[in-house]
Amino acid sequence: MTHQPRDLRAINAGQSVADHATRLDGLAKATGAARFGRDQIKKDMLWVRLIRCPWGRAKLDSLDRDAALATPGVVEVVVSGDDGDYHGDSIGYLVARNRRGLERGLRALNAKWTRLDCQTGILDDEQARGPMDAPSEAAAKAIDAADFSFEARYSTPVQTHSSLETHGLMIEPDGENSIVHASTQGTFVVADQIGRFLGKRRSKIVVDCEYVGGGFGSKFQIGKEGAAGGLAAKSSGEAVYSFCDREEEHLDTGNRPSLLCKVNVGHDADGTIRGARFETFGGTGVSRRGGGARVPSGRFEFGTLDARNHRDVQFNAGGPRAMRAPGCPQGAFVEELLIDEIAHRCGLDPLGLRRRLDDSDRRQRMYAVAADLIGWENRADTGSQSGTMRTGYGIGTCDWGKGRAPAKIEVVVHPDGHLEVRTGTQDIGTGQRTAMGALVAARIGVPLANISVAIGDSRLPAGPASGGSVCTPSTAPAAMAAADLARERILEGVAERDKLDATKLTIDDGVIMEGGRKVVRWEDACRRLSEPVSVTGEFDGRASAYWGEGSSEGVQAARVEVDCETGQVFVREVIAIQSCGLPLVRKTAESQIMGGVIQGTSYALFEEQVLDPTTGAVLNANLESYKILGSEDCPKIIPVLWRDDQTGVRALGEPPVVPTAAAIANAVFNAIGRPVRDLPLRPDRVLAALAEPMAERVVAVAPRTTEQENRA
Amino acid sequence: MTKDSSPHSGSPRKQDVSRRLFLQTIGISAATVATEGQAANANAALNAGGPAIIGPLPARTSLKVNGQKLDYIAEPATTLLEALREQCNITGPKEVCDRAACGGCTVLVDDRPVTSCMMLALDATGRKITTVEGIGTIDDPDPLQIAMAEFDAMQCGFCTPGVVTSAKALLATNPQPNLDEIRAALSGNLCRCGTYPNIFNAVLVASGQAPVVEPTDRGRSVSGEQA
Repeated sequence: MTHQPRDLRAINAGQSVADHATRLDGLAKATGAARFGRDQIKKDMLWVRLIRCPWGRAKLDSLDRDAALATPGVVEVVVSGDDGDYHGDSIGYLVARNRRGLERGLRALNAKWTRLDCQTGILDDEQARGPMDAPSEAAAKAIDAADFSFEARYSTPVQTHSSLETHGLMIEPDGENSIVHASTQGTFVVADQIGRFLGKRRSKIVVDCEYVGGGFGSKFQIGKEGAAGGLAAKSSGEAVYSFCDREEEHLDTGNRPSLLCKVNVGHDADGTIRGARFETFGGTGVSRRGGGARVPSGRFEFGTLDARNHRDVQFNAGGPRAMRAPGCPQGAFVEELLIDEIAHRCGLDPLGLRRRLDDSDRRQRMYAVAADLIGWENRADTGSQSGTMRTGYGIGTCDWGKGRAPAKIEVVVHPDGHLEVRTGTQDIGTGQRTAMGALVAARIGVPLANISVAIGDSRLPAGPASGGSVCTPSTAPAAMAAADLARERILEGVAERDKLDATKLTIDDGVIMEGGRKVVRWEDACRRLSEPVSVTGEFDGRASAYWGEGSSEGVQAARVEVDCETGQVFVREVIAIQSCGLPLVRKTAESQIMGGVIQGTSYALFEEQVLDPTTGAVLNANLESYKILGSEDCPKIIPVLWRDDQTGVRALGEPPVVPTAAAIANAVFNAIGRPVRDLPLRPDRVLAALAEPMAERVVAVAPRTTEQENRA
Repeated sequence: MTKDSSPHSGSPRKQDVSRRLFLQTIGISAATVATEGQAANANAALNAGGPAIIGPLPARTSLKVNGQKLDYIAEPATTLLEALREQCNITGPKEVCDRAACGGCTVLVDDRPVTSCMMLALDATGRKITTVEGIGTIDDPDPLQIAMAEFDAMQCGFCTPGVVTSAKALLATNPQPNLDEIRAALSGNLCRCGTYPNIFNAVLVASGQAPVVEPTDRGRSVSGEQA
C-alpha cells in the first residue's frame, strides 16, 4: 500500500452536531438492564405458538385436537384452515400455560399432512414467469445502432432479515387497558392494528417498545403471531406472550425477494451506452407483489431505456417484506457489475467510466476520495493476475430520496434544569433516542448530561415508523422547533427578570451569556420556574424552516482477496462514503454506515434461503445453516460522513447497504477476470467462473490509467 | 409425561437408577397435572431411601447466579437459559437461535463462557453462574461495559449481553488479547446490526490497549473542505 492509513475519528471530526455524544442507552444495553419485548416474561402468562405447514404445499389430513387439549398446560387450540401454501404457513394456533405445554401440546396435536407438488423459485421455470412486453422500438433501435451489443443475466437470492429479536409481542391487562410490549418498527402501527384482535378500542391500548432487538423492514405489521397473541389475550383475559422462534422467523416474517434480471445493452467502443433493456423477475413467494428491484437506478446514463419490464413470480414460499433499501442492493448489484463489464469490454478503468456516466457533483468528489482511501492506484488490470490469491478493487454507489412524515417532539424543562425529550417513535438501534437528545442539547446549548429521552411508547407524542429512512429526517425538524421554543421560554424569563434583551442572550455549555458576560447558569435560570414547562415542536411532513437542504448519496470502494484454489472471497476493506445531510451524532451515524456495509458484505458472500426443490421445505431456517457475517469475516471498514455544508437532516439508515454487494462483486471480477453474476458469491460459483474463459474484450486498446480518466 | 422428561445424568450407573425410577413413576406422572406441591411429594416418595435425585417431575431447586441463590422450579428438560429468563427473571441472556449458533444467551459457568440454551439447568446446579447483569450494572459498570458504550459497540443491543459476556471471559484468560484473538473469541456471537469493528475496539480499550485507529495525514479534507 502506498497510501497512508487515516484516523477514522479525524476524518469525521467536526462533521456532526454531536461529535462526542455516546449512545444514551449504551450502558443499559451493555449491562443487560435494557428490557426488550421478548424479555417481558411473567410466570403466569400464556404462551402462543402457531400451527404451521411443514412443506412447500400440503393438505392437512388430521389432527388430534382433544389430545392436545388434554395435555397438561394446554388451554386453547384454534384451527381455522386445512391447507398450507408454503413451509411455515399457519392454519391455527395453540395456547398453553408454559413453554413445555406448547411443545407437548403441538406433539399431541399430531398434525398429519399430505405433501403436494409445489414450485420453489423463479429461476427454473421460464413458462411460469410469463411473457414480457415486447421490447420498446426506440430502445431496440438505440441498442442496434451502437458499436456493440451485450447481453447478460444476473440473479440474487432470497435474504431473510434475521433480526436477533424475533417478531412478536407480549400483551398484559392493566385495568381496562392492555399494555402491548412489541418488537416493532412502528409504535403507532401496533397500536392501530392490535385492537381488532384484542377487541379493544385504540384509546385502551398502550404500546411499549422502548427497546427493539433489530428491525430491518419486516417489523411494520403485527403479523400472524401478533394477531394470534391478540386473540388469545381477548379470549383469556390473561397476559399473553406470542413470539416466533428462530425457525418461524426465517419462514414467515418476510424477506428480501429474489431477483432474476436480463440485460441487453448497446454500447460504443468508448464505453458510451446508447440504449438498454432491463427485464426483471421478482420472486415473491406466495405474495402477489413486492418483488420489484430498482434497476436501473437512474444514477447512470444508459441512453434510450426500456426498463419497466417487471414481473412478480409467485411460488411456494413465505412472501417478501420491505428489507433495508427494498429492491436497491439487488438492483445496484446488476447495474454496477454491468458497468464494470462494459468498462472491461472497452478496456476502460471502471471508475473512469462511472464518472462519465454519473452526473452527481457530490458523487464525483466522493469517487476521488474513495479511490484515494482504498488505494485504487494499486488496482491491477482486470484478469491480469495469476497465482492463488488475487486482489481486486471495486466501486458501488447509492442515492436516496427525501421522504418525510409528520412528527411531534415534546420537550419538558424541569425546574432543576433537567430536560426531558419525549417522542413515541421507536429506536430500533438506529440511535434515534440519542439523536433526539443530542440535537435538543446542542440546539439549546446545554450539556447532553442535562437530557433524558422517553421513547417508544404510544402515550408519547406521535411520530413516524422506522421505514424509508424517514424517521430521523422527520423528527429532527420537530426536535429543533421544540428546542428553540424551550430555549426562548427560558431566555425570555431571564431577560424579563434581569431587564435584558432576550435576543442578545446566548447559551453556551449550560451558561446563559450576554455578549462575553456570564448572566446566569442554565440550572439557576430554570430554578425560577414554578413548575415544569412543556413545549411541543411539530413538523407537518412537508417543509419548514428546519427542513433545510441536503441529500443522501454515497460511494463505496471494496478491496477483496480471492483464493482461486478454494473459491473463497475475503473482503479485506470497504471505504464507505455517505452523505446524509447534516449528521446528528457521529458515533451512531458511523455505526449505521458500518452496519450497512456489514449486512451488504453478508449479502454478497453468504446469505441465501434454500428451498428443497422436491418438498418446498426451507432447508436452512436457523442461524447455523443460514449464515450471516460473523466477527472473523468482518472487513476493515472506514465510514466517512460527508457533510459538505448541508443543513437539513437526511436519510442514513438504508442507503449504506445499497452499494456494498455491488462493490464486492466488481472487486471479485477485477481479481479473477470473470464476472460472477449470481449472488451470493459462493466458492463454487467463483470456481465455476474461473473455469470459464476470461471475460471478452471488444476494444483492443491498452487500459487508460485513472489519472488519464480523471483528466478526460 | 413425554420422552423429554427422561433424566439427564452423567454416569451410566446413575442413569440406570434414574430410568428405573422414571419407569416406576409413569403411572403417577401421566395422570398428574403436576402442581408444585404434588411434584414435591412425588419426588420425595421416589427419593425415599435413595440418593437425592431431582425429577422426573418438576421440582424446586436453586441456582447460584451473580452471587445470589435463586430458587426455581425445574423440569429435567429445562435449559439454563429458560431457568434464568422464565423462572429467575434474569433477562440479560437472550434467546435468539436456541441451538448455540449465535451466542446471544452466553453466560459464565464457573467463569467459562457457555451458551445457556444448550445446558440443562440441573447441570448448572451448585455451579457459579454469572450473567451480564453480574458483570456490572448501570450504577456500577465494568470497564468493558463502559468501553462498549463509549465505542458504540452496539445498535439494537440484543446481541450485546452475549458479546459482553464472551469478551469478559476472554479477558479473564487473556488480559491483553490482540485483534485476531478478539475476533476468534467473539466468532460465536452474531450481531445482525453489524457493529463488530466497534466491539473489537471496546475490547482493546477495556484491556488497556489502543483502539484500531491509525495516524492521519488528511483530517477533514475528505469532504472537500480545506484542512
